[in-house]
Amino acid sequence: MTGDRVFGAVMIVLALGYILSATTIQVPLFPDPMGPKAFPYLIGAGVIVCGLIMVLRPDPEADWPAATALLSLAFATIVMVAYAYSLKPLGFLIPTAIASGILSYQLSPRPVPAVLTGLGLAVGLFVLFKYALGLGLVPFPKGWF
Amino acid sequence: MNTKLRALALGAAISVAGTATIAAECIAPANPGGGWDFTCRQIGKILFDIGQVDQPVQVTNMAGGGGGLAFSHVVNERGDDADLIVAASSATTTRLAQNAFAGMTADQVRFVGAIGADPGVIVVAADSPYSSLTDLTDAVKAGEDISFAGGSAAGGFDHLKVLQVMKASGIDDIKAVKYIGVDGGADAVTQTIGGFTTAMTGDMSEIVGFIQSGEVKALAVLTEERVPGFDDIPTAREQGIDVVAVNWRGLYVPKNISDDQFSAWADKLQAVADSDEWKAAMEANGLAPFTKVGGDFQSWVDGVVAQTVELSKEIGVIQ
Amino acid sequence: MELLDNLATGFSVALSVNTLILAVIGCFLGTIIGALPGLGPSNGVAILIPITFTLGLDATAALVLLTSVYYGAMYGGRISSILLNIPGDEPALMTTLDGYPMAKQGRAGDALVISGVASFVGAFLATIGLMLLAPYIARLAYKFGPAEYFALYLLAFSTLGGIASNNQAKATMASLIGIGIAMIGQGASGTARFTFGNLHLLDGIDFLVAIVGLFAVAEVFTFIESHGKSSSIGVKLDKVRIPWSDLKDSFGTMIRGSGIGFVAGVLPGAGASLGSFLAYMAEKSWLGSKGRFGTGDPRGVAAPEAGNNAAAGGALVPMLTLGVPGSGTTAVLLALLMTLNITPGPTLFTDRPDVVWGLIATLIIANFVLLAMNVPMVKVFVKILMVPPAILLPGVTMISFVGIYSLTGSYFDLLLMIGFGVMGWLFRKMDIPTVPIILGILLGGNMEDALRRAMTLSDGDPTYLFSSPIAIGLWIFAVAGFLAPLYFRRVIKKPQAITD
Repeated sequence: MTGDRVFGAVMIVLALGYILSATTIQVPLFPDPMGPKAFPYLIGAGVIVCGLIMVLRPDPEADWPAATALLSLAFATIVMVAYAYSLKPLGFLIPTAIASGILSYQLSPRPVPAVLTGLGLAVGLFVLFKYALGLGLVPFPKGWF
Repeated sequence: MNTKLRALALGAAISVAGTATIAAECIAPANPGGGWDFTCRQIGKILFDIGQVDQPVQVTNMAGGGGGLAFSHVVNERGDDADLIVAASSATTTRLAQNAFAGMTADQVRFVGAIGADPGVIVVAADSPYSSLTDLTDAVKAGEDISFAGGSAAGGFDHLKVLQVMKASGIDDIKAVKYIGVDGGADAVTQTIGGFTTAMTGDMSEIVGFIQSGEVKALAVLTEERVPGFDDIPTAREQGIDVVAVNWRGLYVPKNISDDQFSAWADKLQAVADSDEWKAAMEANGLAPFTKVGGDFQSWVDGVVAQTVELSKEIGVIQ
Repeated sequence: MELLDNLATGFSVALSVNTLILAVIGCFLGTIIGALPGLGPSNGVAILIPITFTLGLDATAALVLLTSVYYGAMYGGRISSILLNIPGDEPALMTTLDGYPMAKQGRAGDALVISGVASFVGAFLATIGLMLLAPYIARLAYKFGPAEYFALYLLAFSTLGGIASNNQAKATMASLIGIGIAMIGQGASGTARFTFGNLHLLDGIDFLVAIVGLFAVAEVFTFIESHGKSSSIGVKLDKVRIPWSDLKDSFGTMIRGSGIGFVAGVLPGAGASLGSFLAYMAEKSWLGSKGRFGTGDPRGVAAPEAGNNAAAGGALVPMLTLGVPGSGTTAVLLALLMTLNITPGPTLFTDRPDVVWGLIATLIIANFVLLAMNVPMVKVFVKILMVPPAILLPGVTMISFVGIYSLTGSYFDLLLMIGFGVMGWLFRKMDIPTVPIILGILLGGNMEDALRRAMTLSDGDPTYLFSSPIAIGLWIFAVAGFLAPLYFRRVIKKPQAITD
């Protein structure tokens, strides 16, 4: 119940922001009867209607995870974000080994298989992408070899 | 000259990487499938085939931001990379002039040369009542409902061509003609053959087949001289409308390379322009000769950018 | 008999030991590229273009390799859709709806065989269509102006309400979110919208980023949270055999799906995703209450796969005869042809019959190679589900990252993908369907562009939208498509139970 209500309310606020942002779109001077704003307004309005329906007629409450599960999800997200930022400066192999090792440990908390998974995936995927598909991946940080 | 170039390239390569086998890289700022990709692949192939470079040129596609991502990559991260060339065309300068690259400007790179141009062309369906460009502009003056389809977005290069033609024939009201931007020139031409728009404006290469099959009538090419191979299509100038608009195919290089490195690329590009392979490729793709390299090209680009800024302000695309 | 002569010419060009080897390699690489999330057919073909240059292949050989990759990727996309609920590429999106439920029931092998055969039927019929009809059917593109395209996109969205959700408001919200995302960037409208001065947003948000985020990354999150309680991984699998009775039942589905897909492919601007979508939705309404769509109906796998493979073949029609690329992948093939000094257009069939018929012969060869390769390999594919999740899911995540990273080489898209992953997890929890989001992103911009063009050409006159028989026909289907689910809902009272 509350989940749908909160979500509907958040979407209404987002839709208002969307419409507000659409008012600042620059309108050109050449013929264009609809212009660049009309469609975004319509979408924003539609989302508001759907949001209201969700607030007024919510579905039964979803089965939300416990706090510990949420924490491990947040941690997985942080690992992925860190991985995204490290690919360029650190090359492919090291961040991939670490990130996939951590994810593997989260799925099945056994350290040795997790480390092996990390190493195996890093090397295996590197070979697949670099040599079978010819993508220009950089293996190590610049200046190592 | 060739040996000197080789020595120079070799010197540059050794100083950069310590080996003599570094490949030049050409960035096509779009996904494969467009003019920029063609520029990189074709020029890259010919540079290698005629021995101007020792290694096949590596083509990188860096799509995003209408070319803006590649531009910012070159400006911010590769500012002094002498082995880097980037495909460019009128769309590049149009977007730079219209401030579409988040504040970056044309003077943040060096435009090294253009070696071919896709002539601007205006066509109507074969059964259209209009048979010359002046027929069309007269119809606009008479208040008829005239619409154009083009391959670039509204406000983009194809749209600007229409506006330039209208201005040159004395029509100053920018609301006088309608323009719809569709997904590429061939798409624009099908809309025109289908009768949804009066005319189509675009690049010659995109519609060569339709001209040859007789499904469209070409009213004018927007070049200084008639285009070889299409000698029966008059220029706009001949019809008293002084507009030249070509979609040039060329390259820019990072700003901070040395003047020697800049002229080395200019010379290589000139060699490609002079090669038979390039002439054949131009012919097969409806490109007209248009060779400007080195400093000449840079100053020509500066002029075009200034002109585009002025026109874009008039139509409200920039303030 | 001219046709047979032409075909003979084609095979004389395409049939040699070398080209056959290339076709096999191409089909194999294509299948892998299609199955890997984040690497779609257009990336796949684009990645391989430089290789054709490095190998010094001639025009025919290069075409053989790349069209095999193209068709292979269309086959391959379904594999990860069915096994892991992760569409390998956007045309395989609809295959998740019934393919994944089948996998969860232990019928992954059946789903793969049926979809493989459906892919073959779709691609084969489309190739026949291309051969017989190309010069005539290309004219269909001349009949589609802004009003007709708008009605076509409207038809797609009008049927969305019937998709995999019991809550109409949530399904509508999802498609609106997708369309809202599609507004980002500088489209054909000329003005940049919702970019906030960020260059990465100027071209809009790539649908591959959204697909991989909403499906692959979200799958990992769901798994971490639930430890695999409602997943296909580790489900006891039925023995792989050929499901003759299902194939017989879905034969009509495959034929109808191929027809719809082919027409969608022929229309530039519609493409394979729309082909598979319309094939699925049409089949769903055709079967009505006789179908169990959304809960693992084999025909729900056959329809979209026949549809998207037929659309892939159909998209070659405007590409070859008009030079209009109807999809991202045909745009890449078009570029390749241009680089080989072959200019597609109305004169191609008469000027370069060797190229056209060589290509057609290649498609036929590739199709048989793919069928021969894919059906026996089902046994290998289903083994993927036996891999322990602690290895499989990190692997899928990393593949997604590399696939998306290879699009632009920027971390911005990766962050977006993670964002979509969180969103996908949340939406699944709340029973908000994610398929409409992707369709919104894929088609929303096109729909707005068509409407704005129509309004520009007609000076804002709404009757222009109903000004042709084609447009009116599409409107009728759209209205019917919107009302049909409401009607069925009333008849059946309670919609099909979701068997999770």
